[in-house]
Amino acid sequence: MQTKGEPVAHSVPAQAVVDEILRLNVDYIVNVPDSIQRTLLELLSRQEKLKYLTVCTEDEAMGINAGLYAGGMNSILCIQNNGLFACLNTIKAIALDARVPTPMFVGQFGRDVTKPPSESRNRAVRMLGPTLDTWGVPHYPLEGPRDLCNIAKAFERAHQDKGPSVVIIGARTS
Amino acid sequence: MLRKEAIEALAAARSDAISVATMQSSSPWHEAGQAEKDHLDAARCMGSASSLGLGLALANPGRKVMVLDGDGSLLMQLGSLVTVAHASPKNFYHFIFGNGVHESTGNQPLPGWGKFDFCSLALAAGYPDAVRIETKEQLKKELPRIFNIAGPVLISLAIDIEEWRPQFPGVPMSSQIQALRKTLVPPYK
Repeated sequence: MQTKGEPVAHSVPAQAVVDEILRLNVDYIVNVPDSIQRTLLELLSRQEKLKYLTVCTEDEAMGINAGLYAGGMNSILCIQNNGLFACLNTIKAIALDARVPTPMFVGQFGRDVTKPPSESRNRAVRMLGPTLDTWGVPHYPLEGPRDLCNIAKAFERAHQDKGPSVVIIGARTS
Repeated sequence: MLRKEAIEALAAARSDAISVATMQSSSPWHEAGQAEKDHLDAARCMGSASSLGLGLALANPGRKVMVLDGDGSLLMQLGSLVTVAHASPKNFYHFIFGNGVHESTGNQPLPGWGKFDFCSLALAAGYPDAVRIETKEQLKKELPRIFNIAGPVLISLAIDIEEWRPQFPGVPMSSQIQALRKTLVPPYK
């Protein structure tokens, strides 16, 4: 039984996430920096198997992912919850309407990890799941190391559906 | 110059470049027979032409990518100039159809038109080259040289305002993207 004040989301080692990504058919990481994924982005930027591109906005990330996909490559996008709200129009037009596989890691910036997102006073945290549900975007939690299997699930779902999918990173990667 | 004149010149110089068009450049590009192969329209995602083109350019460094962008469109994702310059694709040619109005929504003036300059913005963002073209004769003359410059290059085209008659080709992006993915194979795959 959980005691009040104990974390419900736990940090996942960034290297473990990288290891999962490297098992997938991914060519590019396209990111708008997110503090929740800081250590993950650090590792991804230094590894040599994947290309790593930092962009100015999440809208650009959507377009670049689509262009890479049309050109024969696959990417994963790393953005923050606030950034996902910022790019809903391009999620709609590109990932959903144009049916572009768009696997995303979305960090829950501002979350109190002792509470589930639904109880967060932070609107960006609390509304991420319902927003994705409203748009029919499948999402998978990464609340601890036991959820690492969701990375492959989300990637495969995006390509199977030809659309967006989200791994919601609930706590800072370590 | 008229949009049609610019489209004709670009079509004649295209060779095997991959093309991305948006807004009021899409339909004339289709009418010029340029959308049947290796082409993508940025539809319902105004502002995304440069990003779509960048992704294509990065995936296919051996092919030129020409983006037929709108002035209002580029203003919506103006930061993409920095991202393109940062990624620095040598095969990226960014044409801006500049008439100073939002043609698709009723020819409303763009904010600040006449106060800013796309060539200056591109160079300040880190594009190695930017060219301003005023007439169809100048465009026809300059295109071979432009396509020999290592990109990214921004080419600002002075386009006349025309009667408001917006057209959209109506070809689904989804089918264009799948067609591209079938034919474009990255060099190491």
